[in-house]
Amino acid sequence: MTGFARSRPGGWLPVAATLSALVVFPLVVDDGSWLNTAVLVLLYAGLAQAWNILGGFAGQISLGNAAFFGIGAYTSTVLLDRWNVSPWLGMPIGAVIAAGFAVAVFFPFFRLGGHYFAIATIALAEILLILFTNWAFVRGARGMTIPFVRGPDRRPTDSWAFLQFNESRVPYYYVVLGLAVLAVAIAIAVERSKLGYYLRAIKNDQQAARSLGVPVLRYKLIAVAISAAVSAVFGTFYAQYLLFIDPETTMRLELSVLIALVAILGGVGTVVGPLLGALVLIPLSEVTRSQLAGSGNTLDLVLYGGLIMLIAVFQPNGLVAVGDRVRRRRRAVRPAGDGAERGDAPLVGAPGAGD
Amino acid sequence: MPALLELHAVSKRFGGLDANRDVSMVVEEHQIVGLIGPNGAGKTTLFNCVSGFFPPTSGTIRFAGREIAGWAPERVLRAGLARTFQVVRTFPEMTVLDNVMIGAFARTNRANEARARATDLLAFTGLAGRARVRGADLTIADKKRLELTRALATQPRLLMLDEVMAGLNPAERAQAVALIRAIRDRGTTVLLVEHVMEVLMPISDHVVVLDSGRKIAEGPPQTVVRDPNVIAAYLGEKYRPRDEGSA
Repeated sequence: MTGFARSRPGGWLPVAATLSALVVFPLVVDDGSWLNTAVLVLLYAGLAQAWNILGGFAGQISLGNAAFFGIGAYTSTVLLDRWNVSPWLGMPIGAVIAAGFAVAVFFPFFRLGGHYFAIATIALAEILLILFTNWAFVRGARGMTIPFVRGPDRRPTDSWAFLQFNESRVPYYYVVLGLAVLAVAIAIAVERSKLGYYLRAIKNDQQAARSLGVPVLRYKLIAVAISAAVSAVFGTFYAQYLLFIDPETTMRLELSVLIALVAILGGVGTVVGPLLGALVLIPLSEVTRSQLAGSGNTLDLVLYGGLIMLIAVFQPNGLVAVGDRVRRRRRAVRPAGDGAERGDAPLVGAPGAGD
Repeated sequence: MPALLELHAVSKRFGGLDANRDVSMVVEEHQIVGLIGPNGAGKTTLFNCVSGFFPPTSGTIRFAGREIAGWAPERVLRAGLARTFQVVRTFPEMTVLDNVMIGAFARTNRANEARARATDLLAFTGLAGRARVRGADLTIADKKRLELTRALATQPRLLMLDEVMAGLNPAERAQAVALIRAIRDRGTTVLLVEHVMEVLMPISDHVVVLDSGRKIAEGPPQTVVRDPNVIAAYLGEKYRPRDEGSA
């Protein structure tokens, strides 16, 4: 992990440029399918960012993050469907429920080491999927339809208050852009704070972390709570975007895996990584699917899988590492000063040491 | 005034193995105390009991007036007792500065404050020039120095160092000795574990010798080296001085 991966105050120009490009995007590209792809990129960027707080910073690989996403989608949808509660209110409620659920369930999970932890998270999401598929209150496998907001003429209309846009899909893009920016801001805040330092220490060496006073379990629980809450927020958005949810679309294993994959291929443990991963992987899957899936064979999946393997083989530290590698090569030109020529005062005699 | 650390009849059993048996010792404030013994004497086990990595099977451990036996490591640390590891455990993917910041965060919630404190300490221990190097890329001597700096950043009253000098060349060792003295002079009490006796003798105020889990001798270093039990433990029974009789 080096400077490139770390967000620095000096890097405001590229940030501003990227943001303006993102704001202008729908005004320039007037095409439904590209807009949809852009929405998905931002959605997965946010979800991968949330995954990264637990999986990247703290090194606790979860393959069940779709569970939190699903809880978010279902919470706001049930509230809207039964009690006509606005999704804007359902969103934070879903986040709180997901965070509470995550803390309760992951408390025992964190006793498990390595692979067993990942397996437990898979089981968690799968159990939730089966539960929701058979739960009459949430209409089981039939799923839930978000009721249209209708204008005076009884036709579906746009409503910011109820986060529903039927005339143009562009507002959805801006909503998910806002949420993605929020997710990035949270990730940056975490990374720079004591929490971020402690999570990285936990990832590096738990025993050493404990020896330095890090309450390992408590910090892992904080990480999973944040991760779950952010994932749930995007779940609410997704429900409003599709206007229909069922257990399969919100909680299936492929979704959990894709979230992890975006973060891992982009570069684990960095803020830029999940963004890069989403930017590369999501359009790739959309393009391969739209271009090749129609033929009925599974060539699109073969191609998609092949590309993932290429990245994994040649860029095992993720796409952000490309930048790191360039930097390191540049630095390596300078001879690696060893021992004597370090220039720092040896041990004692440093100012303030003796008194 | 009671001692900073007091162990009374501490025992640790692993299955049928008595790693520590009825060990009692005290560490007075502002001293450098050496804990020595041949390989397998139970030094690291005792260390782990005191620092909270496992609870002792029986016995009491008082630190700064509080009974800490069975406390979790992070709680022991917060009480003011920090340790390093025999096998170095620097955070490999974090920079030297970040490693030390983790220690500093034990006493502050603010990153800027932790960074400032870490930077100061790196200057003190002579690692300032390596602040941006990853933990994994350090030499073994620097890794040990980093662990020590990191532990120091937690502002301990008692610093326990597990074989910080093992594997160092004579020059590095001399630096380490100077550094440990400087740490004590700043007001931190030091408990040193080593199995090489000659390393400890010149700097320890008091030495405790373990063998097969038991305390076999203690006292000022000059007395301890002449103790027949100690000589026998290190060199074998046949080197036990004859006129001292047998145990």
